[in-house]
Amino acid sequence: MTPSATTTVPRTPGERAPAATAPGPGPARSRTVPAWVWALPPVAVLALAFLYPLALVLQQSVTPDDGGGVSLDPYADVFASEVFRDALTTTVWLAVGSTVGCLVLGFVLALVIAFVPFPGGKAVARFVDVFLSFPSFLITLALLFIYGSVGMANGLWTDVTGAADGPFHFLTTPWGVLLAEITYFTPFVMRPLLAAFSQLDTGQLEVASSLGAGPVRIIRQVILPEALPALAAGGSLVLVMCLNEFGIVLFTGAKDVTTLPMLVYSKAILESDYPAACVVAVVNIAISVGLYSLYRVVSRRAGA
Amino acid sequence: MNAPAPSGIRFDGVTVAYGGTVVLDRLDLTVEPGEVMALLGPSGSGKTTALRAVAGFVRPAAGRVFLGGRDVTALPPHRRGIGMVVQQYALFPHLKVKDNVAFGLKAHRTPKAEIPGRVTEALELVGMAAYADRHPRELSGGQQQRVAIARALAIRPGVLLLDEPLSALDARLRSGMLAELARLHRELPDVSILYVTHDQVEALTLADRIAVMDRSRLQDCGTPEELYRRPRTEFTASFVGNANLLPVTVSGEGAVRLGDRSLRVPVEAAAPGATATLCVRPHLVGLGDGPNALTGSVTEVQWRGSTHRVHADVDGHRVMADLRELREPPAIGDPVTLHFATEDAVLLPAGAGAGDSAGVGP
Amino acid sequence: MLVHSRAGKWATWAVFLLLFVPLFAVPLLVILAASLATNWSGAFPSGPTVERYAAATSGDSLQALTTSLVTALAASVLALTLGGWAALAAASLRTRGKRLLDALFILPVAVPSVVVGLAVLVAYSQPPVLLNGTRWIVILAHTVLVTAFAYQSVAAAVRRLDPMYEQAAAGLGASPARVLWRVKLPLLLPSLTSAVGLCFALSMGELSATMMLYPPDWTPLPVQIFAATDRGSLFTGAALAVVLMASTLLVLAAVSRIRTRASYR
Repeated sequence: MTPSATTTVPRTPGERAPAATAPGPGPARSRTVPAWVWALPPVAVLALAFLYPLALVLQQSVTPDDGGGVSLDPYADVFASEVFRDALTTTVWLAVGSTVGCLVLGFVLALVIAFVPFPGGKAVARFVDVFLSFPSFLITLALLFIYGSVGMANGLWTDVTGAADGPFHFLTTPWGVLLAEITYFTPFVMRPLLAAFSQLDTGQLEVASSLGAGPVRIIRQVILPEALPALAAGGSLVLVMCLNEFGIVLFTGAKDVTTLPMLVYSKAILESDYPAACVVAVVNIAISVGLYSLYRVVSRRAGA
Repeated sequence: MNAPAPSGIRFDGVTVAYGGTVVLDRLDLTVEPGEVMALLGPSGSGKTTALRAVAGFVRPAAGRVFLGGRDVTALPPHRRGIGMVVQQYALFPHLKVKDNVAFGLKAHRTPKAEIPGRVTEALELVGMAAYADRHPRELSGGQQQRVAIARALAIRPGVLLLDEPLSALDARLRSGMLAELARLHRELPDVSILYVTHDQVEALTLADRIAVMDRSRLQDCGTPEELYRRPRTEFTASFVGNANLLPVTVSGEGAVRLGDRSLRVPVEAAAPGATATLCVRPHLVGLGDGPNALTGSVTEVQWRGSTHRVHADVDGHRVMADLRELREPPAIGDPVTLHFATEDAVLLPAGAGAGDSAGVGP
Repeated sequence: MLVHSRAGKWATWAVFLLLFVPLFAVPLLVILAASLATNWSGAFPSGPTVERYAAATSGDSLQALTTSLVTALAASVLALTLGGWAALAAASLRTRGKRLLDALFILPVAVPSVVVGLAVLVAYSQPPVLLNGTRWIVILAHTVLVTAFAYQSVAAAVRRLDPMYEQAAAGLGASPARVLWRVKLPLLLPSLTSAVGLCFALSMGELSATMMLYPPDWTPLPVQIFAATDRGSLFTGAALAVVLMASTLLVLAAVSRIRTRASYR
């Protein structure tokens, strides 16, 4: 290789060899700004509208109302309170229970839509999409009409038996919240599952059944392994959303069902106890951001 | 932009690396103004990388790229003024054919009044003027291809880059487009064309010169005839056309030994006793006795319509012969005698791991 | 494919309907039916009436609807600008910068909406910027909440966009700005409209953060629905809910029409 005429610039010792990006003498150069500059404006807006408020919540959670400097007293107070511990347990078991319910139900329903096709199956899939665009509290509202104390089920019971009171009172208990959450969040599991099933080569199923495998064996050995990533991704998304669910719980009007988001709301708005609200908020953020990061890792691995 | 666009390309020690892997190694190559240069090589040979370095989509780690004598190494793609056609055409699906062709003109700030005329001119050049108001999705693959070429030519570039432009077409369309491209080049004699392909027929048909690439390096460069008749490396011999490659030892003036046979071939500047590779094209091998006779037994016979390809085992070396269709082709296991003329043989320096069966027939 | 016998198929479908209809179809139908009833304490609603709709589309309720529509429109346009810009900027960054932007702009999804409401309330109830008690604080919170979704859908669309179009345009002499306006944005248009639709629907139904923030003169529809059911007027709540669902669907349908026209292949 002969040295190019254009690189015979006198070089001072210690200067690095001309890389491709180093200026050559003469030729026109690009004057575009680096790409990261373009990322600054949206990041600045986000910082102002979201990150700065979050930082203030964190700051407020270590600053008790009664003056004084930084202290962990609000945390000690909140962690010691019965209400908080109850809320934490209720939130976690409701979220885990709903997630398991959604996974089972969503898997079964998606399986039928994808592999036992029926006329109108497409419409059902569309309906699931529409369902996702409605707010969660509508489900609780509907359940109030069906199972509420003066609702349809209890009314039917009193009409038939002549009793003064119907048997359905679970709506104001955690079970009512569980039912509403399973109903509302199941489509969030079905959607990634249907997407995964549509990628599954149906030839595999045909080969498996020609080799003598029954439906149960096919589901266990062919479909389930393929669906696992989508199940994991959908499941962890639902888990996070259940942890953060507020509308469903608010609408049941149950006094004895308190979840972490409800606690944030009642501490801040009803009791005006901002440091306590901020402590609960920080705990809630820690749990759900942790789980959400897990979801991102899982879904990236699943390629979803 | 109506000044004559710079023509001619020069690679000066261009090296491209991705994360430590060198994909193009110190390429030195000049494409003269008005010349068609084919970059021929298998996939992964670095030929597309070389083209993308001219277009500006990859930044060389070292070396310089010149367009019309001007160093463009640091210029972004949109300031290089080249025309480019890629394998999948990349026509903008949201624009009509005429707007696709006008895209480059608008980007170059051509006066508004000139644009319709230039668009029509470019579309007429490829015979697509009647389709100006269609959307790309309404066109066949071959038509999309023509529009892509019209779009690249509309800005009157001095350099046209074609990246496997025919590989998405079926065989019949491909030969038609090949003739079309040859005609286009005759009509645009000043445009330098860099044509990347893995297909030797395209390269042999179209190119003024062929640069053969393999394993990130330029292996050989010359006119199609030079490369075909006088290849300089085993790789060129086997990649441009088919070749019988036989390991021989130089035994004296104009003579080599294959095993214990003595063959008369043109020997240039090789000391007696040196090992070398003998290259003979299969269609230059004849059946029956003659000068440079090779006796062996038939291992395979393929009927190819107008020819028979006969594979023979000669002292453990495979020799292929493409023979005009035989009335009574030999059977496998038959003894056979083949021969070739002294002037049809080329002696190559022995390459590393030289084998006797490098000829990969299409 | 999975079940071959006729009887087996019918049995499967029966189980499917038994699960699907009561869980998903009935709730929405119940709300629809209740919105048209005066009384429902038996198997079927009684006393058909459209009076609730007259109430639901006038006075406070009408104002709540326009409040929701304006909030959702403002939030989704702002979120698309912010999230779309960030997603396009992220696409041209190297791995580490892209990761950072991904994490930043997806964070609002992971943070509970109630907490977003609390944070915005805490931050903008004190100087230097006092927004508490104005409509802007609601719009701000909605924007933050839906930006993450806008970012995710635009980022996914940018990833799917074949880089060859961009390169073809640059090769033809188009500057980065021209490539963005004439090639990238038109090709992304279908995804951008569907992102706007998603943001709009989410903002229309947003309750958690809104409950923390809404001023008396800026009451979105979900808050109005909660207020109605909380004081026991379930049927009014149902009518308002139907209005909410209908207006959301209407806007989504309009958006999907635009999307069909904007998709070229």
